[in-house]
Amino acid sequence: MRNCRLIRRYTRPLFLLGALVIASVTASAQGMQGWRETSFVPTPKGEWTGPRLPDGQPDVSGHWSNTIGNHNNLTDPQGPLGADDEAPQTARQNARQPRPRSQRAPSRISDPPDGQIPLQPWARAKQQEFLKFLNNPIRPEYVEPFARCAPGGPSKSFMWHGYEIRQYPGYVVFLFDSGNRVIHLDGKPHLPSNLKLWNGDSRGHWEGNSLVVDTTNNNSKARLGRTGEFVSENATIVERFTFDPFTITIPNRRITDKTPADDWNNLTFPAKHAGDEPIIEAYERVCVEGNGDHGLVVSSK
Amino acid sequence: MSTLNLAVLAALGLALWVGSAPGATPTPPAATGIPRGADGKPDFSGIWQSLSGADYGLEPHLATKDEPPGAGVVEGDQIPYQPSALAQRAKNFAARATADPRHKCFTLGTPRGIYGSEPFQIFQRPRDLTLLFEFGHPVRTINTNGTEHPDGHIDFWLGDSRGHWDGDTLVVDVADFNGETWLDRVGDFNSDELHLVERWSYLDRNTIRYRATFEDPKVYTRPWTLEVLLYRRLEPNVQIIENYCATQDFDEYYPVPSAKQEK
Repeated sequence: MRNCRLIRRYTRPLFLLGALVIASVTASAQGMQGWRETSFVPTPKGEWTGPRLPDGQPDVSGHWSNTIGNHNNLTDPQGPLGADDEAPQTARQNARQPRPRSQRAPSRISDPPDGQIPLQPWARAKQQEFLKFLNNPIRPEYVEPFARCAPGGPSKSFMWHGYEIRQYPGYVVFLFDSGNRVIHLDGKPHLPSNLKLWNGDSRGHWEGNSLVVDTTNNNSKARLGRTGEFVSENATIVERFTFDPFTITIPNRRITDKTPADDWNNLTFPAKHAGDEPIIEAYERVCVEGNGDHGLVVSSK
Repeated sequence: MSTLNLAVLAALGLALWVGSAPGATPTPPAATGIPRGADGKPDFSGIWQSLSGADYGLEPHLATKDEPPGAGVVEGDQIPYQPSALAQRAKNFAARATADPRHKCFTLGTPRGIYGSEPFQIFQRPRDLTLLFEFGHPVRTINTNGTEHPDGHIDFWLGDSRGHWDGDTLVVDVADFNGETWLDRVGDFNSDELHLVERWSYLDRNTIRYRATFEDPKVYTRPWTLEVLLYRRLEPNVQIIENYCATQDFDEYYPVPSAKQEK
């Protein structure tokens, strides 16, 4: 075998391991000490100064990982995931008692400044209900869709595992471990609005160092994070992936949807490139094939 | 030479080519006017679909109420199964209503995904080809960067694909199967020891000739070959629409919360 490195990413039993491999590759390439962060500086919009592909696109292809590895909690990424996590019952849970909030990664909600989505009261109640039963899903709708191998949607996909970007004339393709997205750069109209999709329907264009993506046709079933925040199926999501040639990108989302929340603007998921490994190959991305009854226990009753 | 003579010679050449011996890998006549990448290689980018009906049965078969008839896509018509494998295929056939991995929304695998009933899209770079299948939405990568199969046997649903160019033909060596997939809806199958060699070439700019030669000492008595044509989807609004088939089993549990629902 020549210059070929396979990243082993399995489906269920080794979800976390897969992410750690990705993250450690990133950390190594960046000279980081782990992936602790208490703040991040958004990459400024500007001109692209890095290499370009023959069709003129900034070359941002390769393997990327969010800067802190897998995280479930949208507003406190390295914090507990609901009440169960706050009251550890096992030695393993005790061993991962979170650090004080000031030493943990900031909320992925970058606007409003308090890091919280201004959910309307009824919507906050629904989010809290989902979170309450996340670790003990007594009803089918409380099973986190990721556990059933559903795609993560335009938000949660960037919180879980690494991902790969491949670019072609007319397309930018995101490959996640659970699903994928094809960003059409050809100005083609969106799909008919009644077609609602887990990962939506995406159209994009480049503005300097930013890939600006307009995503409609969201079924919004994946929720924004495992903590249960959500938008409605009428949401339009505009993403601005601002790339730095030195391997940092800040995908930045503006969500237009006043159904469950008052005005708010941005979700931000900082990420890093895996670096200049000669060749990195991910194992094939399959999930449902190896999921067995996982995530189906409740629904099968 | 008259136009008629040229036409006769062309027809003879086509007949000789189409009628090649099973397992042979004839070099197709060079297609002209085909898309090419910056590296000069044929560019297979696009959305493709087989109309062969091969997914309903690779061998010649009559119609049933749910399946159309087909003349078959196997050279020599019959897959050369070992007796024990033939018995397994019979079991598969009897249980096909539930046992076909397609019904579980599992990845169709290689090569079934190529001639399945839904389209797939090819994205091509010099270093690889990415195949995005509509059914189940899996992605297969054909590496064309000179790398070889990784060490050891790996149980992949789609196999491990390493390709190289033989003139204008993309030759892909596929190994590391898991033996869990079927080849069609009637229970044809392979084991994890399958070694598959694909040959992709343009007939014209909108048609791909796809050949796959199977070698599997656990299941077959000798190598055998199938061939299908793939047609470029040209509808103005065509695109691969996500079909995460497995989500349909639990879709009902995830209505988007609404204020009305709360009341």
